[in-house]
Amino acid sequence: MNEKRVQSGRYFMMGNVACAEGAIAAGCEFAAGYPITPATEIANTLAERLPKVGGAFFQMEDEVSSIAAVIGASWAGKKAMTATSGPGISLMLENIGFAIGVETPCVIVNVQRGAPSTGMPTIGIQGDMVQAKHGSHGDYQIIALCPSSPQEMFDHTVLAFNYAERYRTPVFVLSDAFVGHMREEVTIPEADRIERVYRKIPPPGTDPLEIKGFLDEDVAPMPIFGQGFKAHVTSSCHDEVGKRNLIDISALDKFIRKLSNKILKHRDEITLVEKDYEGAEVVLVSYGAVARAARAAALRAREEGLPVGTLRLITPWPFPSEEIEKMARTAKQVIVLENNLGQMYPYIKAEAAPFSQVSFLPPRWVGEIHDPEHILTKIREVLR
Amino acid sequence: MQIRIYPERCKGVEECGLCLHVCKKQVFKPSEGLNLRGYRPPEIENEKACTACENCMIFCPDFALVVGGKKGKRGGPA
Amino acid sequence: MSELTHPLHRFIRPTVPHSTFCPGCGDGIVAQSILRAIDELGMDLDDFVFVSGIGCAAWIPSPLFNADVLHTTHGRPIAFAFGIKAGLPDKKVMVVSGDGDLVAIGGNHLIQNARRNADLTVLCINNGIYGMTGGQAAPTTPMGVRTTTTPYGTFENPFEDISAMVIAAGASFVARWTTAHPRELTRSIKKAIQRKGFSFIEVLSQCPVQFGRKAGLSGAVQMIEDYKKRSLLARDAGKLSPEERKGRIVVGELVEMDKPEMFEEVQKMKARAEGGVS
Repeated sequence: MNEKRVQSGRYFMMGNVACAEGAIAAGCEFAAGYPITPATEIANTLAERLPKVGGAFFQMEDEVSSIAAVIGASWAGKKAMTATSGPGISLMLENIGFAIGVETPCVIVNVQRGAPSTGMPTIGIQGDMVQAKHGSHGDYQIIALCPSSPQEMFDHTVLAFNYAERYRTPVFVLSDAFVGHMREEVTIPEADRIERVYRKIPPPGTDPLEIKGFLDEDVAPMPIFGQGFKAHVTSSCHDEVGKRNLIDISALDKFIRKLSNKILKHRDEITLVEKDYEGAEVVLVSYGAVARAARAAALRAREEGLPVGTLRLITPWPFPSEEIEKMARTAKQVIVLENNLGQMYPYIKAEAAPFSQVSFLPPRWVGEIHDPEHILTKIREVLR
Repeated sequence: MQIRIYPERCKGVEECGLCLHVCKKQVFKPSEGLNLRGYRPPEIENEKACTACENCMIFCPDFALVVGGKKGKRGGPA
Repeated sequence: MSELTHPLHRFIRPTVPHSTFCPGCGDGIVAQSILRAIDELGMDLDDFVFVSGIGCAAWIPSPLFNADVLHTTHGRPIAFAFGIKAGLPDKKVMVVSGDGDLVAIGGNHLIQNARRNADLTVLCINNGIYGMTGGQAAPTTPMGVRTTTTPYGTFENPFEDISAMVIAAGASFVARWTTAHPRELTRSIKKAIQRKGFSFIEVLSQCPVQFGRKAGLSGAVQMIEDYKKRSLLARDAGKLSPEERKGRIVVGELVEMDKPEMFEEVQKMKARAEGGVS
């Protein structure tokens, strides 16, 4: 008796559980991971639900082997994911770089927690934002999504799989302990309302010597294993057919640029923001859990007649520079709200400062979702 | 007994020399000249002495030697 | 009369005219031994997925073998292979990598997957050195050898017996050969390919350029003769005292047993899940 993949209905559901349900609804067949607070519920749910829909969850010996197994399963043709927190991402970064270099679709959920180091496992911070973009060595682009609610834990995980498959890249879902552990209403739609993308692969029977499986800015077809494509998939610098080149810097330059451009060229299709700043003098820029506080503050400010709007970054990466600039041109004051010491802030400031005053507001204590009153105090201050 | 050498695959009797060493019948000798990569391949000196033991073929790290003529081998004459 | 062709050339990637191994390197002998095993079994390279890490031995399948090949990060090929086998259970997944890769940085993945008895074939090509990076001490380098990072001689006790560790971890098939035993190696590889479970084959392989020169050995021929002289069949090793066994290389199929194979257990688990039994 197989349970259904898509458990359509309305639920009062924990964020982490919604994330796992999103993965299953998106077609995930393979998951591997290692226990870590505050992400373990994702593993628990996948372990229980995946075998009922033909998949499996594997608890590996560590996070390094977890992401390795995910990448292997992806090359075996399966939609694959892992879920962890900051310390696990730190361990995975070398292999994440590998996934980027050989263009492997996979989803990596980071339920962020107090850091650095072992930190505070049950407290959410937004401490791993830049790590997602720059944590592995070398120049590269990445796609990341920031859910603000359990509903978005479901929706963004589905979207993450689709982005991963469409652009042949790892995609981060950057949640935190609050969103991961909170319970809220989650609606899971009917199965036929959920878009599911699968990577392009070469037509069966293609001559292996004709296959160009890498380094196409419009995404090369993925020569997955087991189809007779005789793919040569290497961590080394390589060309369009996967042939290793350790000598020519022109090959290195191409390797770096093509991989980056594959994401940048399609930035407009990838970038998602939530805008509510029409006519606003002060715009609160935020993402994830903090966006809930920003919205509450903006609503309260408007009740007082203050011209405040919000811009929520749903995809902090690839960096939505156009959206930031567009917003900054219409605003006088940009306040960046993050639950950290300013990770997205320098990027936002660089883009917005030519057009607007830009400032940063952490919560009173890092580890807290901003109190809307605290934000209002700052709003009144900048408006003076 | 047929032996074919692929001289351009060979990495030389001086640096490697395994074929000369594992042949119990002294079938090979170093060739006079070098291949395109500067290695000195072996040459067949005494083909009649070959017993098709296949040691040279099996021990060559570079797939540069094949021995034919044995019972129904896949590698027989094309 | 048509020309004789090497029976294994058809397994070599057409865009790869020669290997990148040093002259006399044992890796080439191992490459042939693997392909000969596949040939003798009447199998096709498309029945396999090969996985390798970083190091000279990892260049045995990459780019030489005309097959699906995953050349991964250092130490991790077994972990990647795990995921590939989970996704392609009908393919034979073979890991070929070196002692540094599989036993040093990758040691835990080797131990854990031997424990799991996951259906993988793993060839550990042991040359006693980190060759690719110019000859640094490995966990298998004998005490006292001067390498680039141990200029006054190594001061660590090396691994006496990698295969013993893998046996202790729970692998169901373990064999050890040297490049002086390519036919026996091919036979064990055939066995490993055909059986279910974690099949580990340690192959002592000469590195004349990085290890040989540092250890005062004069080339591939001398190193292979040294392997041959020091080798001792496992069934005879039991007859010798520990003193007599010192410095010898015990070769043969050391362990072969039946035990639950992990991916088969996964299928049973799925059946339990679908049947509503926890």
